[in-house]
Order: sequence, then structure tokens, then C-alpha cells
Amino acid sequence: MDVLHWDGTLSAKDFKIGAFAFAQKWESHNSGFPPWSWVLCPKHPWLASPEEEGYLSLEKICISRPNEEDIDQISQIDTGEEETSCPGNEDVIDDATLVQSGHHELHYCDFHIVYSSTFRVPVLYFRAYCSDGSPFPLDEIEKQLPACSANELSKSKWTFITQEEHPYLKRPWYKLHPCGTAEWMKLLFLSDAAKPKFDVVLELYLLSWFSVVGQVFGLRIPFKISN
Amino acid sequence: MAKEGSGSILQFAPLQSSVEEGFWHRLSSLKLNKFGIDDSPIPISGFYAPCSHPQVSNHLTLLAVSLPSDSNDESAMPPTIPSNRNRCSVPGILYNTNTMESFQAFDKQGLLKAEAMKIWEDIHSGKAVEDCAVLSRILLISFADLKKWNFHYWFAFPALALDPPATLVDLRPASQWFTLEEAESVTAACNEWRNSSATADVPFFLVSIGSDSRAAARHLKDLEACQHDGQKLLFAFYDPCHLPNNPGWPLRNFLALISARWNLKTVRFLCYRENRGFADLNLSLVGEALITVQPGWRERQCVPNAVGWELNKGRKVPRCINLAKSMDPTRLAISAADLNLKLMRWRALPSLNLDILFSLKCLLLGAGTLGCQVARMLMAWGVRKITLLDNGRVAMSNPLRQSLYTLDDCLNGGDFKATAAVRSLQRIFPAVEAEGVIMAIPMPGHPVSSQEEKTVLEDCKRLSDLIESHDVIFLLTDTRESRWLPTLLCANTNKITITAALGFDSFLVMRHGPGPLNSNPNLKAETETSLAAGVDNLALTNTDGRHRLGCYFCNDVVAPTDSTSNRTLDQQCTVTRPGLAPIASALAVELLVGILHHPNGMFAEAEIANSNSGGNFELPLGILPHQIRGSLPHFQQMTLVGHSSNTCTACCSTVVSEYRKRAMEFILQAINHPTYLEDLTGLTELMRSASTFQLDWDDEIEAADDECVEL
Repeated sequence: MDVLHWDGTLSAKDFKIGAFAFAQKWESHNSGFPPWSWVLCPKHPWLASPEEEGYLSLEKICISRPNEEDIDQISQIDTGEEETSCPGNEDVIDDATLVQSGHHELHYCDFHIVYSSTFRVPVLYFRAYCSDGSPFPLDEIEKQLPACSANELSKSKWTFITQEEHPYLKRPWYKLHPCGTAEWMKLLFLSDAAKPKFDVVLELYLLSWFSVVGQVFGLRIPFKISN
Repeated sequence: MAKEGSGSILQFAPLQSSVEEGFWHRLSSLKLNKFGIDDSPIPISGFYAPCSHPQVSNHLTLLAVSLPSDSNDESAMPPTIPSNRNRCSVPGILYNTNTMESFQAFDKQGLLKAEAMKIWEDIHSGKAVEDCAVLSRILLISFADLKKWNFHYWFAFPALALDPPATLVDLRPASQWFTLEEAESVTAACNEWRNSSATADVPFFLVSIGSDSRAAARHLKDLEACQHDGQKLLFAFYDPCHLPNNPGWPLRNFLALISARWNLKTVRFLCYRENRGFADLNLSLVGEALITVQPGWRERQCVPNAVGWELNKGRKVPRCINLAKSMDPTRLAISAADLNLKLMRWRALPSLNLDILFSLKCLLLGAGTLGCQVARMLMAWGVRKITLLDNGRVAMSNPLRQSLYTLDDCLNGGDFKATAAVRSLQRIFPAVEAEGVIMAIPMPGHPVSSQEEKTVLEDCKRLSDLIESHDVIFLLTDTRESRWLPTLLCANTNKITITAALGFDSFLVMRHGPGPLNSNPNLKAETETSLAAGVDNLALTNTDGRHRLGCYFCNDVVAPTDSTSNRTLDQQCTVTRPGLAPIASALAVELLVGILHHPNGMFAEAEIANSNSGGNFELPLGILPHQIRGSLPHFQQMTLVGHSSNTCTACCSTVVSEYRKRAMEFILQAINHPTYLEDLTGLTELMRSASTFQLDWDDEIEAADDECVEL
């Protein structure tokens, strides 16, 4: 297929190939982060498709630390609501337990790269949570994002965050809406002076795609797209 | 940094819990679909792994799979727990209650003791050696409030307390304790242990080092084989803690096992920690503990005391997490609707003003075929505040054409339309702020007796108040005369008014022009629409009413009268082609959105659709017509302009001024005397002069009879 006539989309099979290629490149070059893992999805017994579906998963990435103000805010919310200390509990006096002070609240993010058969492109799903597992809402996430990307998000033609049910986990996750993806992926490759052939495009698809969407979260790919 | 010979009490860093959201989702699902009010304890699994980061400890995690499956085709027993090197599974138990009171009344000491007893038994029976994960057994109590989506919970990590506590002889980074050769070998042995699927999730093991510095990782049950002279032996465990001066919690029960089962007094232990998936001997610690328990502590029948309730920010209180945002269906529906509109704005209509739509208050007069459809369309555009006024009941034929009603609303004589409609809207979108008003609209040409007068005046007042308190009025009733009073009231207060009217196979949708009197004390100063701005600009054009766009009655030369009685039966049932109402309703709402986005709002001039405009519009939503008339037989639609008439029975300045002067008295007169309005506006005069003109013409004909030839 000719890149010039390509519409910027991927077939499900190509996505799987591209995903593995991406995960491999990531692991070999990106020592700063844990590797992406491929999660297989339970197959519906009544669907005829022989292909097993799956998605890429990168979990528990620490996005940043809040500043001191936020820590106080968080503890306000907790203690204000919950004054139900169970009375009459004489615990065993225990000298062997270390008493820890000043607990820094860290926030983590899980990323899933899922294939969308409607748009025929990869979609980045994400969610954020605190270290005790409680979810971190979108407006708070946006505050934590690098300042330049927060600006980009509000004005950008290409990135738009919506909340939707994760196609496999059946719970609300956030995602970067995919309706612009095919367009800008096509532009990305058309503008490449090297005029790559289609099979190269395929191999680099996810890498290039992620180098754009990852920036929203300050996740940079530390190496250039190879020839 | 090495901590030497202090003989101080060995202090363990407590485990910290982390519950993934999916756990609560599954618990809710189990409660709602399987367990109901049954509060028997539920077997669960916890997961932990060795520390993998020098600055952050790992948590004991609960995931969705920690709970039994919530699908209907499996029993309540937990399936094979998916354990891997990053998720060592440990058994646990969950006590979930149905009320806050029972949650607070839990006998925490008792529950902890029961779990401690299980661990103690496993130690003595040998099970802990075979399946060492049971040493890290967990306990969880919770109360799931499935109305507010609050989950109250409290973890305990039961640890058998040594009496007296163990003392620390030495603790240092492993790299400082092993020789270089040993270190290399230990690293390799541990990595192998971690990479083999048979041992990756076994959190307690032995490391034995021969005199040749060769290290091997062994199962606990191989202890005797490892206890040779010349062999160094370390009791190793996956340590989630990262602290350099303290071992993690799992060591507590490990020491209890070592003492109770093998009666060792000096224990050399390895806190196994990793970095980026590989053994890290700088982070890992090697230490020596001295156990000096009292005689009798080791007796099987004396269960040691247990500690381990997790503190919440240093306090002995449970934790609470609220998941309404991701679990409450109403909240999810709201955020989905919002995002949908924002998506539209982002992709296609950047100038879409969603705030104005969210805050708009719409009054729908009539909850029939038009009213139902208009209400739905408004909700689709993000309008949340909708009032429906209708005094009728849902009849058996209604559900087919009136899209908010179903058969249930027709039973037992039929519910009032206004209330049934509100109920229906709430079922579609719970966050809608819908209200129903059961009231008849007073109509001219339907005279009222003096007993009814009081009620009618109250209704007029009520209608006036309703119009006053809303921003947009839709006239969607099924008679001409019922539109008169609302039109007048809207013209008086300059409210955005939209009329939709149906013929058998044709429709009219139009926006009323502004009222004739523009220095209007009723005009709210705080309207955020361009109404206020528009008013100032229009002082010039409004004075004679000539350029003002017309209302529904402006083109009529007769006043509204009783159109319902004296009709034959088939005429009394308003019959229209079913496709008309949805088309007209949709256009009515789209017209409204156009008005709201026009810089002049309701004062905007009328535009006509013509084939020349092509795709280029000045405004993103397109043109803003005055009237749209459609014909189904032709599948055609026309946009028309009608200017106001200064003899209009509803909106001309004469009528509006008269209303302002005499208010209810005037209304009553119009209702009771069919010709009053025509007299007032001069229509009577107009008609008389038209008919006298006729007579003259006849006279002339008679006079000139001889001269003219009859045609």
C-alpha cells in the first residue's frame, strides 16, 4: 500500500504487530520506565473471530508529587468525614511497630493502549489514583500535568479527554478521544522527509503515535524515530 | 548504614494497604447480585511483591480478582488466584456488614485474634512451611454504602507478637554483609528464584551459602538439609518496605514461625528487595535478630497476642473512599452527557455556548405530540430546566404519538400528562430539573361564568408568573385560541417565544418577534444573553412596530374564537400525519438554539434560506429564519418573514398597553366577549370598511347597468 493513499488507520492485526514492536523498542531503549505488557482479553464464546484480542498495559507510573498544600487538603477531607473511631479497643501495646511520620501522598497513573475497531486506531486509556488506591479525578490530574500540555489540551484540535467505559474492564476510565488520530497520523507520516514505505510506517506507527499522545502526560520517548 | 549491637527492640515497618477501584466495583456487584443481605465472611486474596523502588514501599494490594467472581455461572469459591512474580497472593478474609452501626460494633480484638489463631495453627501444623504465603494472611472489615457509594474499610495485617519482643543485633545493606563473590552468587540465585514460575510467588525462602561462596535459594521445607556446618544460612523474605533501617512487616510472622517450629534463638534474615525487576543487594538488608521468648510462648495451645490494625494517617480510625463519580449511574449519565456536548463543540462547533444551554429555563405549554418531542430535543441539547404545562390526562391513543408516555401512564383513567411527562424525563436523564403544572390556559371565546371567574383569574396570574420565571416559552397547544394569552404575556415581557402548529399534513414553526414596548421594566437586567444588549440597539426600530417581526396572530384578521365546539366529531380530534410533530418539534428546538447563538438574540432580523448561500454562513449554526412552513406532500420546507401588524390581537401596542393598564380585567373582557379584541384593535373597523367598499362596488354596478355588459 502506498503511504500517499493511506488514510492513517490500522487493521486489528496490524495493531497487534505494531504493539509488540512498540513494546520491544520501548523496553530496549527506555530504561527509565517499566516495560509495557500485553494483556490478553477474555474471548466472547459466541464471536467467530479467531484472533485473540488484547491491549498494552503500563501501570503504576508515578506522575508527580503534590505540594504541601495538597497534603493538608487531603487529610482535611479524610478526617472531617470520618470520625468513627471504634470505641473501647484496648490494643496490645506493641513496641515492635515502627511509628512512621509525614506520609507523602503519591499519585500513580495506569495507561492502556487499546485498539478501537470503530476508528481503526489505537486509543490511550488512563486513570490515576493515590497510593491507597482511591481514584484521582480528572481535574486534579490536569493540574498535575506539565504546564505546557495542560494549555495544549484546552486549545488543541487533536486531543480531547473524555470518560468512557473501558472496553474490557467495564469501568469508567479516561481516554484521549480517537476521532482525530487517523488524520494527524497521516499528516505525521506524509510530512516525513524520508518518505517511508508502508511496512516501515506500520512498524513505527505506535511509536510515533505515542510520541504525540504521551506528551500530554510528560512521557517522552527519549530517542528519535529511526530511519 | 549499619546498625550494630544496640540490643534495641527490632521495629518493623507496618504494611500499607492499597485497594484498586475494581475491588469495590466487584464487591458492590456481589452484594447486589449474589450476597444480598447475607453478611457471612468472604474469602479474599491480597497481593504484594518485594520493594521495587529505593524511595517507595510497595503496598499490600487488593484487586478485583481478590474477590470471588461476580458472574452467575461460578460458585462463590475464589478461582485459582492469578499469582505472578509481581503479585504474590496471600489468603485473607473480608467481613462486610450491611450497616454503619454493625461496622462500628465489630469486635476488632476478637477478629484479629481469630486470624492470629489461624496463623498459629498453620505454624504448628506445618502448613506454613509448605505454603508459606499463609504467614501473611490479611483481615479486612468493611461497610459498603451502596446508596452514597461510600466504602468504609479497615485492614489488619495480623502479626504474632513475640513476648518479649525480638532485639536487633545487626542490620546493614546486604552488599555490605556478603563478600563480593557471595553477593554475585546470591543475586543470581535470587533472580532465578524470582524468574521461575514455580517459586516466583513464594514469599519466604532460604538462602544457603556454601564454603565455596556458592549460594542457593531453597524452600523452607528444606531447612534441615541446609543446616550443615560451614554453610551460611539466611532466612529470606520478600520485603515490600524500602526503609534502610527497618525490615518490613512480613518478617514478624516469619520470626514467630522460626521460633515456634525450629526453636532458633539467633536468626539471620535477608530482607529481599529489588530494583527494576532484579535483585538489588544495596537496597536489600541483612540483619540478625535475637529471640528470647518466655518458656511457654511456644506452646501450641497458647496463641500469642496479635497486633496489626492499620493506622489511617497515624490515627486508629478506619478509611473511607467515595466512588460516586465512577459508580453512581446518575453521575455517570451526567458526565457522559456533558462530554458528548463538549465533543460536539470540540469537533464541529467551537462557538457552541454550552453554559447558556445548561442554565436556560424553558416553559412548554402543552405536553402532547409537540410537547413531548420538544422536551426530548431540549434535553439532547443539554437543557436541564424544563417545565411542562398541560391539564389533560394521558389517553390510550397518546403513547403512539406522544413520545414520553407508555401504556402504564394510561391506566386507571390516565395520569395527568404534566406529571407523567416529568416522570418520563427523569427516567431518561435523572439530572433533569423537570416540573409539571396541571392547568388550563384561559382562552378568548370560551366565556366563563362568574363562579369560575376567580379560578380563571388565578390561572392567568399563574401563567403570567410562570412566563416571568422562564427564559423561553414554547407554544405547543392544539388550538389557536389557547395561544393568545401566552403570546400577549410573552410580548409584554419580551421572552423568547417559539410557536409550533400542525395542520393535517403541514406545519408552522416560528419565533415571535419582540414585544412592541421596549422600555420594559420587566426585562431582567441580569440576563446574560444578548437580549439586554439587543434592546438598546432596537429603540429606533421598535417605535412604530413596523420592522418588528410578527407573532402567530399578526397575519390574522379575525380574533381567536372558540374553534372547538360546533365542529364535527372528526374535527374535534386533532388529526395530523404522525411524521409532522417530530419534524416540527425538532425544528422548533434548533430554531431556539439558533436564537441563543445569534448576537442579537430574539431581536435578530429574519433570514431566508436561498440556494445562493451555499455552505457559507455568517454564523456557525446557519441562518436564523422567522417562520418555517413545511409541507409533507411536497416534502418541502419554506422560510418566510412576517412583520408585525399594528392591529394584531395579541401583540400590537394597543393590546399590550391595554393589558398593562388593566391587566386581569382586560383579560377577562377578552375571554368573555368574543368581539372585544377585534373592536379594540380596529379589526372590526377594518372589516366594516372592507364590507362597505363592497356595497359601493355593487351600487356602481347597478347604476351603470345599462352601460356595462355583464361579464
